[in-house]
Amino acid sequence: MKNWVIVFGGLLISSSFLEAKQIGAAEDLNWLTQAERFIEMKDPSIRKVALGALLMGLSCGLIGSYVVTRRLSLFGDTLSHAVLPGIAVGFIWAGEKDNFSLLIGAGIAGFAGVCCLCLLKKFTRIHEDSSLGIVLSAFYALGICLLTRIQKVGYTDQSGLDSFMFGQVSALSSNDINGLFITLLLISLFIVFNFRQLLVTGFDPQFSKSIGIPNDFLQFVLWMLIAFCVISSLQLVGVILVSAMLVIPAATASLLARRMKTYLVLSSLFGAGAGISGTFFSFLGKSLPAGPLIVLVSALLFLIILFFRPEKGMLFCWLNTRSERSRIIIENTLKAAFQILEQKGFEENEITSLEIMKKRGLSRPEVEKEIQNLTTAGLATKNISPIDQVSLPSQTVMTLTPKGWEYACRMVRNHRLWELYLTNEAEYEPDHVHEDAEKIEHVLGEKTVRQIERLLQNPKTDPHGKLIPSITDIHQGNLPGAS
Amino acid sequence: MKHHDLPIEVHDLTVSYQKKPVLYGVDLEIEEGSFVGILGPNGAGKSTLIKTIMNIIKPNGGYVKIFGDSPKTGIKRIGYIPQKESVDWDFPVTVFDVVLMGRYGYHGWLSRIGKEDRNKASECLEQVNMLAYANRPIGNLSGGQQQRVFLARALAQESAVYLMDEPFAGVDAVTEKTIISILQEMKKAGKTLMVVHHDLASAKEYFDQLLLLNMRKVAYGSVSEVYTHELLQKTYGGKLAVLSEMATEVAKNADT
Amino acid sequence: MNFIPKFDPSKVFFEPWATPELIAWNSQVILMGFLVCWASGMVGTFIVVRRMALMGDAISHGILPGIVIAFLTFGSLEVGPMLLGACLAGLACSFSIEWLQQNSPINKDASMAIVFTSFFALGVTLINLQAGHLDLDTDCILYGEIGLTPLAPNFIFGGNDFGNRSLWVMGLICAAIIILVSLFYRQLLLTSFDAILAHSIGWPVKIIHLFLMLLLALSTVASLESVGVILVVAMLVFPSVTASFFFHRLPSILICTFPLGILYTFGGFHLAYWLDCSIAAAMAITASICFILSVIFGPRSYIWKTAKKKPS
Repeated sequence: MKNWVIVFGGLLISSSFLEAKQIGAAEDLNWLTQAERFIEMKDPSIRKVALGALLMGLSCGLIGSYVVTRRLSLFGDTLSHAVLPGIAVGFIWAGEKDNFSLLIGAGIAGFAGVCCLCLLKKFTRIHEDSSLGIVLSAFYALGICLLTRIQKVGYTDQSGLDSFMFGQVSALSSNDINGLFITLLLISLFIVFNFRQLLVTGFDPQFSKSIGIPNDFLQFVLWMLIAFCVISSLQLVGVILVSAMLVIPAATASLLARRMKTYLVLSSLFGAGAGISGTFFSFLGKSLPAGPLIVLVSALLFLIILFFRPEKGMLFCWLNTRSERSRIIIENTLKAAFQILEQKGFEENEITSLEIMKKRGLSRPEVEKEIQNLTTAGLATKNISPIDQVSLPSQTVMTLTPKGWEYACRMVRNHRLWELYLTNEAEYEPDHVHEDAEKIEHVLGEKTVRQIERLLQNPKTDPHGKLIPSITDIHQGNLPGAS
Repeated sequence: MKHHDLPIEVHDLTVSYQKKPVLYGVDLEIEEGSFVGILGPNGAGKSTLIKTIMNIIKPNGGYVKIFGDSPKTGIKRIGYIPQKESVDWDFPVTVFDVVLMGRYGYHGWLSRIGKEDRNKASECLEQVNMLAYANRPIGNLSGGQQQRVFLARALAQESAVYLMDEPFAGVDAVTEKTIISILQEMKKAGKTLMVVHHDLASAKEYFDQLLLLNMRKVAYGSVSEVYTHELLQKTYGGKLAVLSEMATEVAKNADT
Repeated sequence: MNFIPKFDPSKVFFEPWATPELIAWNSQVILMGFLVCWASGMVGTFIVVRRMALMGDAISHGILPGIVIAFLTFGSLEVGPMLLGACLAGLACSFSIEWLQQNSPINKDASMAIVFTSFFALGVTLINLQAGHLDLDTDCILYGEIGLTPLAPNFIFGGNDFGNRSLWVMGLICAAIIILVSLFYRQLLLTSFDAILAHSIGWPVKIIHLFLMLLLALSTVASLESVGVILVVAMLVFPSVTASFFFHRLPSILICTFPLGILYTFGGFHLAYWLDCSIAAAMAITASICFILSVIFGPRSYIWKTAKKKPS
């Protein structure tokens, strides 16, 4: 029911891309040539931006895997807002937009934010979500206050500061690239050397403490690396959206990966992919900022994977239940056929559609369809009976093939065996077991059947006194009880 | 007609939670004025049974009837004492506020809480010996006192049936005695009580009836009938392997 | 370098109120501050006790595309369409978060982060797409400019001039929130404290939850122009958390948001006047200072209690 929300979101996202093209055209910027320019990568500025987005995607994806698995997503968001005053102070300190001092300032502010969170946790009873909100907004407010102050005082080179809100790809300097590169290097080194330790501390902190892994230290380094990652990515995606890059690629990877190594690889790949394609889209239109587009692309990627991933994706599940449902219908028809034959004492082998209609309580077309399904599956043959003595119109007559007969026996056996199991072993009332057996008969595997037969010592009759076809009956195609 | 007067009737109830089976084909008929202890190992579905009767969890199969009504309407006749962990003890309310909440059901959406309600709340607090703490924030109470506050709220609700999830968890021996004596009094007043309990030894003394639960109903009856070595062994001796395996299969397919 | 101007009490405190024109101008700003603080403080109290503080943050980000789309469709900054768009986007945001949580292995905080950043990114992209065509002020929505309240057009009805229109709108919303909260106080209290009991009384817990989300969206949208997307969360969280260091009952905390709102506004206004910076940010800073003080000196503070216990 809530699917429409997602669908709506998807439509919006795609429509925004359509719009992008129109704008490009309106501004006399042919987006096709722009795309060509981007793909050729001849322009050094394009190369630089693409490289930056690639590096950022990789490092955010890598560290993001730990952010998501350790449930630090909102912590990452808080941290990314908390670095803002640090950037402002760094700017004031250096008197210009000097990357190194900005980095130091942001690092210190991030550290202070983490300390505040720890203090709030230790000295107050405020819940975690509120304290995250408090630290986030307090630091952010301080940052905004300082930034507006800087604007008023009128520093000479302040233009770069605005870009920290949403990132400004065009202002990306080679220093920024170096910063991104160093961050990626640090993160990969940290993960490579501490892979096992991180795995253990993340999964079972108490155990890891007992075997001498410095949990707190690792956690601290992880926090600092998250802070570095945030700071170095600011120029590309900006304060507000950098947390998205920490979370979305990793969350996408978590839909697919089962092991931490694949998780890391996928997450960094998704990050890098989103980075590159986001910058690509931002090139198509003139006034489009890269940061939000990178985030949108990764969100789109997330949605696609969510719907189409194998095994648990919506599409897969839908197809699965459909085939499951048709199997259950076939099995129910077979069972009905068996019971009809049983009622007639197994003397004839023809079943008319009228009999099935009565047994299953279905309409004529429905039964005709079921018989058709059995025939196509090779479980029965059908022919039209000639009009006989009764004043009935011609009706379909079905005969089970050996394969169909075996299948039908198996279903009936499953049903009756399960009824017997429930009454004898689990001590359910005999009048309650039928409904349950109706469900279980379709999922009972041969292995479990053997197990139950052993438990019940190869029973012959079910709680209602009806015969249970045994495995030998089924394989020899005998009628139950005939042997 | 007698059949319809049962406070709680559970028929072939199957419940799965997050695609795992918790209850499987449970039947239960509880007479008015029963004092039932629900026993079973961890993960046996004790809390789930309570929650399904309360209509918080929807069953996959079977039904629950409360005084012959569907749970949706019948639930108004049920009082509930929450598990201690599910309460936010930092919430800014006082003891009196909490007890007064028990009276909310007697009022329309916009009508005011009157003097009788306040008197009733004080009365119930008096009954559990907590009137002196009426203006304390609930976070400042000891474990036993907290439990008594919620008992007072249940009293204020004046329901016919009470469901309790582990009321004795984290409570000292003295309080446990107090609580049980209050419960006994409630029973005498004709209330029906169902209590999830985990201590085998005391269960024998506390309750009149026992429900042994481990995914399926193992046994239900008076303490003397049910409290046998064999039945307890069955309850705590683990689930039936085949049954739980198949139940898992069904639960997996149930709501895809 | 005169980064921090000299603090001159007479200049900071009296200059804004020196002439009648200034008083007329600044009192509108102050009044707006009150209304914003009260409205968000009221809703925020319930948001905080439900442990949904970050949901407030998420929704305040998430409504951005709604506002932009409403603006694009109706082409004006009319309050009605904006509110509608924002409420729809806010509800879509909270639905998507819940849906993700239930239908995917993604846990709660990650799904919140995914949804609100994506919504926000969508909003920013839409704004930028239209940057050349229309005058939706990004800075105003993002940082808020409460100082410009008096510039809003007047509210003229039936030929009579009733004064500043955005003040009227905010006032109406604030009054609506206060009335609704006090009318449905019991419902909000019980569903926050013990949803199961509320459910067993037969109250529609989900609808009440939705109602609160709507109030949240309403107060967020209304205060957006004044304090901006990100500082909304400050106005939501700070009043009730600060008040909880003084009072232990919900009604007292709710009432306490009124004096706190006045304090934040005056403090922020004069702080901003002194430092010549954004008033909204200065209000949030005042709020943080009040919070820190109450953590240290509040009668219900943990630090205070341990210090008192030690001598005995």
